Amino acid sequence: MKNGISILLSRIATPTRVGPRDFIVVAVLAAVAFAVPYFAGTYQQEVGFRILQLGALAAAWNIAAGYTGLVSLGSAAFFGIGVYTMAIASNAGLPIALCVLLAAVMAGLFALIVSPALFRLRGLYFTVGTLALAEAMRIFVVNSPWFGGQAGIFLTARAPKAYDLYWIALLIAVFVVVCVLLLLRSRWSYRMQAVRDDEDVASQLGVRTYRTKLWAFGLSGALIAIVGSIQALNQGIVQPNGGFGMSWTIDIVSVAIIGGMGTKVGPWVGAVFIVLLGEFLIQFPEIHLAVVGVVLVLVIRFMPNGIWGTLTLALQKNRNFS
Amino acid sequence: MTAVLQLESITKSYGGVRALDSLSLHVAPGEVLGVIGPNGAGKSTLIGVIGGALTPNSGTVTFDGRDISKLSSADRARLGIGRTYQIPRPFTRMTVADNVRLAATNSGHHISQRELEPFVAGILERLGLTPFAEEVAGKLPLLRRKRLELARALALKPRVLLLDEIGAGLVRSETEELIAIIQSLRTEVESMVLIEHVMDVISQCCDRTAVLDFGKMVTVDETPKVLADPVVASLYLGSVAESADTVVVDEGKRAAIRASLTSLVSAPNTAPGTPLLTVDDVWVRYGGLNALKGVSLSVNPGECIALLGANGAGKTTMARSLAGAVPLTSGTISFAGKSIAGLRPDEVTALGIAQCMEGRKIFGTLSIEENLIAGGLDARKHVKAERLEAVYSIFPILKQRRKNSGTALSGGQQQMLAIGRALMSAPTLLVFDEISLGLSPIAVDEVYEALGAIRDSGVSMIVVEQSVDRALGLADRAMVLGQGEITLEGKPAELLADARLLSSYLG
Amino acid sequence: MNSIDPVGLANTVLGGALLGGLIALSAVGLSLVLGVMKLVNLMHGQIVVLGAYVAFYLAAFWGISPLLALPIVFVLGFAFTAPVQRFILAPVAKHGEEAGLLTTFALAIILENLFIRFFSGDSRSLDTAFSRETLAIGPINLPTIYLIGFAISLTVCLAVWMLVTRTSFGRSLRASSEDPISAAIVGIHVSRVRWGTFALNGGLASMGGVLIALCFSFTPSSGSEYLLTAFAIIVLGGLGNIMGTFVGGIALGVIQSLGAYFMGDGYRTFVGLVMLIILLAIAPNGILKRRRSL
Repeated sequence: MKNGISILLSRIATPTRVGPRDFIVVAVLAAVAFAVPYFAGTYQQEVGFRILQLGALAAAWNIAAGYTGLVSLGSAAFFGIGVYTMAIASNAGLPIALCVLLAAVMAGLFALIVSPALFRLRGLYFTVGTLALAEAMRIFVVNSPWFGGQAGIFLTARAPKAYDLYWIALLIAVFVVVCVLLLLRSRWSYRMQAVRDDEDVASQLGVRTYRTKLWAFGLSGALIAIVGSIQALNQGIVQPNGGFGMSWTIDIVSVAIIGGMGTKVGPWVGAVFIVLLGEFLIQFPEIHLAVVGVVLVLVIRFMPNGIWGTLTLALQKNRNFS
Repeated sequence: MTAVLQLESITKSYGGVRALDSLSLHVAPGEVLGVIGPNGAGKSTLIGVIGGALTPNSGTVTFDGRDISKLSSADRARLGIGRTYQIPRPFTRMTVADNVRLAATNSGHHISQRELEPFVAGILERLGLTPFAEEVAGKLPLLRRKRLELARALALKPRVLLLDEIGAGLVRSETEELIAIIQSLRTEVESMVLIEHVMDVISQCCDRTAVLDFGKMVTVDETPKVLADPVVASLYLGSVAESADTVVVDEGKRAAIRASLTSLVSAPNTAPGTPLLTVDDVWVRYGGLNALKGVSLSVNPGECIALLGANGAGKTTMARSLAGAVPLTSGTISFAGKSIAGLRPDEVTALGIAQCMEGRKIFGTLSIEENLIAGGLDARKHVKAERLEAVYSIFPILKQRRKNSGTALSGGQQQMLAIGRALMSAPTLLVFDEISLGLSPIAVDEVYEALGAIRDSGVSMIVVEQSVDRALGLADRAMVLGQGEITLEGKPAELLADARLLSSYLG
Repeated sequence: MNSIDPVGLANTVLGGALLGGLIALSAVGLSLVLGVMKLVNLMHGQIVVLGAYVAFYLAAFWGISPLLALPIVFVLGFAFTAPVQRFILAPVAKHGEEAGLLTTFALAIILENLFIRFFSGDSRSLDTAFSRETLAIGPINLPTIYLIGFAISLTVCLAVWMLVTRTSFGRSLRASSEDPISAAIVGIHVSRVRWGTFALNGGLASMGGVLIALCFSFTPSSGSEYLLTAFAIIVLGGLGNIMGTFVGGIALGVIQSLGAYFMGDGYRTFVGLVMLIILLAIAPNGILKRRRSL
């Protein structure tokens, strides 16, 4: 691609650095968030749950899309796998913690199985392939005899209280964040970003690109499935259009892009923005989504690094001038 | 003594064009091998085949006695083959240090976390990149990008290092720095392969030098012998005597062509005595690289200018900016009294500047006739038909095969098609960019025969060429570009006598 | 295991072929857009749905038969998408392929939710005088509307093929798909070709939506299914190959109806999607190889 350089230049975010400070910040924020149910009502806890859920999903998606360049529109497939694994496994009597783990394993296996076909596709074709994959999964679950069809499956497990759900979501959000931070500290971080910036050159420098993509895609999918498994507990019933619905993909992609793809903080900024916007327009869900679409169009055009990426770039510039 | 690297009858074709034609080559331990040859000789393809980025159609690559033809490029890198790219390809969104860390942590050598930082710091220091370690690589200017290429390749701790035109686009002092670095590497890298156009690098670094042309080995020998070989000089500069004799001028045919050309060129619409085209202090900068550094030139009505220079000197950037396809960083270009800065390429063409682009750029999904028509879209129907006939009478082969795909022609015929397509807009100024590139000598003769006729029609021309003798045989005036600046200017005869001309190519 | 009924199977295959050819109309523009703009247009499905809604309301308010409404739908689809390209997609092209792709994704979200807001989430369908008629050929019974739709789709695809292979716009379109920079230097106004192509696709996809809605009911959320079906068709037919797209549509129709026949009707789309993924993985340039000069 001839003008590849100019395109990339317009999308330079701050370099990825992870230090002890990041872990301290996460610990402090987690401690504050942990205390929320003690002084906030059920409504605030539900909003908090939604923010943690979307933030964790977008942060997980960001591993593949933001850092590795695997822009997937198939997140709903992984989410659905998490949702259904929880329903089936917990109804079979397995302990909840094991069900969550199983959801992650199933998602990782799924990534392994589809990777030979998907990783032959580059760029736009990869994106379309993942979209087709998620739709195929949804239709398969609707029609196959094992998953309760359109009606879905009821969970026999007792529905958790709002604050329980909130704390579980917080635990998982912290887990996702720590995973991302550890990943960014490891050597995988360079490999993933190298594959994103120039797959051929990465290979020429010794990077086994297929393996790198599989790790990123699989980990991203497994974390999404974990969040999905909690959603099953939250709903008490799982259905194909809820679990494998495009709406999850839409939420994840808009949160990550509006917040800032390829940044550590972006997904969380995006989640707060989208959830608060949703609460503001709670009477008009379809207007909310249309507005999200408009914001998305504007962000892609005027802030290609998202809210967080743009902010940090602006701060950097200020620092350089002073 | 066994070779470290051995290539056995490698052939690599791209859609019928043989970039490498059963090429065999070996690199001995401790040796620095230079590879030279004109543009399109297959040099970069050679590096791609060794590094594993390209799969040859046939032949084997042996490294250390082991056949590595089937290995992926990652596995070859881990075995100890490092390469750089002609146009640097840093990971633009990673920092400079991370670029190096990546290579250090994926080589065949294990490196512990404790060893990593001093190792990376050492490499950065050595290549003078320490002050930029935390900068995003996409912001680096060209010289630092080139150093980063080298730094990354070194971080692999390679046994064999493949360097693709590390000197291209650099000024002399920068080139000297690189030579020093390359020489210092001799002790730690087993062997090196250097592809170069900058002859200083070849003469100062390489033990042996191989010369490629049309994907074949012309000669390989000790460097001083190769550089003294007259065959090698003629590969770059061509041989004036030879070509002048072989062209038989058919006066009748010339007259017919001249008649056809009258409908294919337009008279300039300028006041007498003023230049048709004025380029004033033009700078073009992209991707951290200054491709043009204050170029000024002018073309008078009916004049033919030759624009010469080695690879990477900025010739094609100049041609592209005349076409409106490259935005100017500063400076002005005015044509027939109008500024063309900020115009779209199609608007520039409509004003009367037509281009024969480097690499011909024939549309394969269009037939030959459609390719021609695409060159004259704005003309009225009957004018278009008239011009089409005129082009056909100059190049009858195009008429015979007018329904075939544009790329079904041979290289020389495609070049005729490209010339015909440029003429279809009836331009006042024609820019020919590297039109002899990759053509056989006979095809070049034919193309230049046509160019001579076009010049005689009175249209203004800029002939951008590497092949010096051809362009000088045609031009009224010539200029030599070097590192983005005009370094020599004068009448063709004066330039040919000037020793600096050869040195701008061979160093 | 039921034994296979040959007449039923023939009916299925023929019906599937007709249906596939009919649906091909909704796909033909997608491939042009992909070629010229290097853009996977994720709002394609919503444009198809939009066409169906336009015909639905033309019929509801003015009693215009959907088949007669086709030209109006084309014009409206064209007029709606031209400014979308000019003012929304063209400006983000400089940010790279990904930005264009995600912008169409955002536009798809917007359109789908506006449909829900203004047209309600109800399932709709289009009716004509022929909707319940069938045509008997020996023992085989085919819905008349399939035959009519197939003929219309074939006619329009032929017209598009003529446009691309025989006209000045078509030459510019092909040159711009192959090498936009060279095309511009040769003198082609590439950005105009781009919006012309996108708007043409808008008109064609909207008409395709009318044909589909004559055979199946649709909802505001049908877009993603239509997009993926169209994508499967163009990959099957070879990217940029107009008549290949039509043949690809027929092939997909046959495959889908066979899938539905043997596995149950719910698997109709599933079979198409699985085939799309396999096709993308084994042959990104399509099964029917693209001819060099169309």
